[in-house]
Amino acid sequence: MEIDLYYYIFWALNYFFLFYGLCLTALYFFAILLSNRSVTRNKRKARFLQVNDIVSASDIPSITLIAPAFNESRTIVENVKSLLALQYPFYELIIVNDGSTDNTLKLLVDKYDLEPFDSTFITQPIPTSTVNKIYRSRKLQYKQLTVIDKNNGGKSDANNAGINFAATELVLCTDADCIIEQDALLKMVRPYLEEFDQEIVACGAAIGIINDSVVKNGVVEKLRLPDRLIPMIQVVEYIRAFLLGRMAWSEINGVMLVSGAFGLYARNRVIEVNGFNIHTVGEDLELGIRLRKHMEEIKVPYKMVYLPETLCWTEAPDTINVLIKQRDRWARGLWETMGLHKDLFFNRKYRDMGLFYYPYWMFFELGAPIVEFIGLLSLIIFTFLGLINWSIAILLFTSVYLLGCIFSTISIFIYVKNFKHYNTGKDVVELLLAAYLEPFVYHPILILGQIQGYYKKIFGVKSGWGNMDRKGFQTLPKEKADRS
Amino acid sequence: MRKALVIQEDLIILKILERLVILNQYDCRAIRSINDLDIEDQSENFDIIISDILFDGIAPLDFVFQIQEIILHKSLIIVTNMGQKKIEKEILASKNVSGFFPIPLDMDHIQKLIA
Amino acid sequence: MEEEILKLLIQLLLITLIIIYGAIAYTMLYRKWRTSRLKIIESTFAKICSLFLYPNPNLEPNLIEIQRELKSVGIVPSKPRNVQYLIDLMIRTQRSILGVNYIKLKTLFTQIPPYGASASKLNSKKWYIKARGIREIYEMDQSQYTRDLIKLRNSDNIYVRREAQIGIVIFLGWKSLRFLPYLKRQMTLWQQIKIVEKLYDLYPVPDLNHLRRAYNSDRPYANELIMRIIRKFHLTEDIAYIIQFIDNPKFETREAAIYCISSFLLDEDQIGEIKEKFYNISNTEQQLMLLKYFQRISMEIDLPFYKDLLYNGNDSIKLSTADILWSNGYKEEVQDYYYQQYTQKANSDFISV
Repeated sequence: MEIDLYYYIFWALNYFFLFYGLCLTALYFFAILLSNRSVTRNKRKARFLQVNDIVSASDIPSITLIAPAFNESRTIVENVKSLLALQYPFYELIIVNDGSTDNTLKLLVDKYDLEPFDSTFITQPIPTSTVNKIYRSRKLQYKQLTVIDKNNGGKSDANNAGINFAATELVLCTDADCIIEQDALLKMVRPYLEEFDQEIVACGAAIGIINDSVVKNGVVEKLRLPDRLIPMIQVVEYIRAFLLGRMAWSEINGVMLVSGAFGLYARNRVIEVNGFNIHTVGEDLELGIRLRKHMEEIKVPYKMVYLPETLCWTEAPDTINVLIKQRDRWARGLWETMGLHKDLFFNRKYRDMGLFYYPYWMFFELGAPIVEFIGLLSLIIFTFLGLINWSIAILLFTSVYLLGCIFSTISIFIYVKNFKHYNTGKDVVELLLAAYLEPFVYHPILILGQIQGYYKKIFGVKSGWGNMDRKGFQTLPKEKADRS
Repeated sequence: MRKALVIQEDLIILKILERLVILNQYDCRAIRSINDLDIEDQSENFDIIISDILFDGIAPLDFVFQIQEIILHKSLIIVTNMGQKKIEKEILASKNVSGFFPIPLDMDHIQKLIA
Repeated sequence: MEEEILKLLIQLLLITLIIIYGAIAYTMLYRKWRTSRLKIIESTFAKICSLFLYPNPNLEPNLIEIQRELKSVGIVPSKPRNVQYLIDLMIRTQRSILGVNYIKLKTLFTQIPPYGASASKLNSKKWYIKARGIREIYEMDQSQYTRDLIKLRNSDNIYVRREAQIGIVIFLGWKSLRFLPYLKRQMTLWQQIKIVEKLYDLYPVPDLNHLRRAYNSDRPYANELIMRIIRKFHLTEDIAYIIQFIDNPKFETREAAIYCISSFLLDEDQIGEIKEKFYNISNTEQQLMLLKYFQRISMEIDLPFYKDLLYNGNDSIKLSTADILWSNGYKEEVQDYYYQQYTQKANSDFISV
């Protein structure tokens, strides 16, 4: 009787995993087709609206870039210099000093010759922590820079303060330590200029990993693959996520997440939904979903889009501990956001978002780590019970592994075909090797981080953002940069 | 012979400006980016610089101020794609510039300035 | 049996992987080779243009020599991608140059290959080839194809119709306003920007007859386009057209109206008219934009208007109004208001206790 029960569970789980795996494989194939179409179409469209056309145009929407800074004295001056250099004719930069306890603010005041101005009557459509002072530069060349000094309230709160103060149609939220491509704004504004029957509420672009690259004057001078395996695998992970995942979603207007590290939003819409939610660590996904819900409710046709080009570079965790912390936080953010918007689940009122996109996130984004975890557990248990046919299992594992390799190789192919960042044979071989090692050395760590995050949410373990100790993109000494 | 420095990323505009300058009896150094400037350029005293303002890692206005300090010159002319009225006003307000020409441009206007 | 199927699957997957490796290697090699070819074509073309416009003294440009040079870098009919690249370079150059040099370049471009390549693209079924053909036609000033462009103005494809509409403006100027306000489909912001720019660059003297006839259009995109034209050409006598849209129910139309009106200095009557409409605007951000505009253009502070907003507006409006009054020396009014609020709050707290 007992053996029968185990056997029954064994087969039930087997069929469940098979069904889940087949669904996921089908979705990935579908994503490859969609993303290839989307990238090709984007490239063709770009020929009719080139960066040079936009840079010379008047009447294009003005953009404010908002970058929260918290205790970033080591890199803030260089980072602001790099952000000021972004090429866009109608561009403002707001740095929000989110209650730094180091000398971040003083460095900015000294370097950019900032002076405070009267902020008694500033309007705050989105409530935030107290704004202490607002600074602007006395120097003509830094005229587009504003620094908001406020009490600490977290990244979302700082972004909200920046959105309040911005006076432009579009706001781009990013991190002060991201390296942004110089023509990024000119490319990001394209969808806003080209759409005619749907309102663009948010636009994202691919984010790349920059560990061990050479950064000079806030510009990526020489892009190199990271030396260590963990960040190297993340390069492949990001390429796959942005190129296959987000581009495919973008093609069917199913984007729900515009990355918090680099997202351009219609300011009026963000204010209408009351800005970023300061009570979740998954604030970017949460805002994306809330914006979509809002547009569905007011019945205005809308779109959230993604660009395939890598326009923002960031430093990835390069140790296992930091990576686990990051994925733990992402998992908690996802859990919180899915919980906050559970009313979407198969809710016809929200059309495709309720019927397809949200359930997908529920089953395959939130659910995948749980399924994988159960899979690992059952593998161990059924091995002990002697229920596994090893010759079939090994062949099945090899097939699934090769399938995964094909997906990664295709995304690297699409990337290499369309973009010039990793263009040497050595780079491509390294990327492929990293992709093939991923299931063995990297994926288990991800599962661990994600399950840890879910555990904290289920059992109410308090946890914040977690610190990511960044090395910072220090400008290399000239000789070293030249050598490289 | 008078000396000129032309900095333009667009190769075609660069070459046309270079020819224009050479025919006006200048010894011309033509480069595509400020990264191509070398130590010798920094010790020269140029009679004229014709440059873009869009360069990686430096804001347009900052460039106009910084070039005063980096390279000795008598006159600076800006030829740029980012030629909106607002930008022109800001650049001219710096008082470091003797001419501002948005692309598309009539080269005859530049000829008048450099002749 | 199951094992055999799985083994076959593995073989298939391995073959697929090998094919993708081949594709990656081919792509990388081809791109390297292609980039170097394009660089050669670009630098040859740059040299040709610069020497054509500014030849050495006593040395006339030799067209046969130019054609030979282009042929030597691969501009031949059997290599259409090279030819297309040359066309792109020609367009880029043509768009960068004005004056006598523009005419000279136009002469040059009619005498070197390709000949008539753009018109044939209009028959293509692929939207991006058709749209590219239209762009080439208008950038290279081939006005004999205007009729073809007019036919394409309502094309299903956004890029084809956009390029056709821009072409119509370039060739017909202000007369194009006979068609543009009555299109079947919406216009994107970029179309509007491009049309206004082209009108401004090529037809700087406004033809008010054609413009005012277009006022009859009730299509929202046409309203926005006309407002942008009025702004760009600074047609002060037509400001009333913009003012009527200040409180339009459509957000984008209001946004365009506020943006366009902001570049004008208005008289008292016009300001009064906008102030009346101010109360009908449902979006606080747009109201704030208007308040900033009033502050910028008004010689004197309209105290009753601002006091009304201070006492009856929402929180954001109140703060902005207080800011305006305070910075214009009406500190007492602001203090009175906040004192009144304070006492009211104190009284209500007292009652609730």
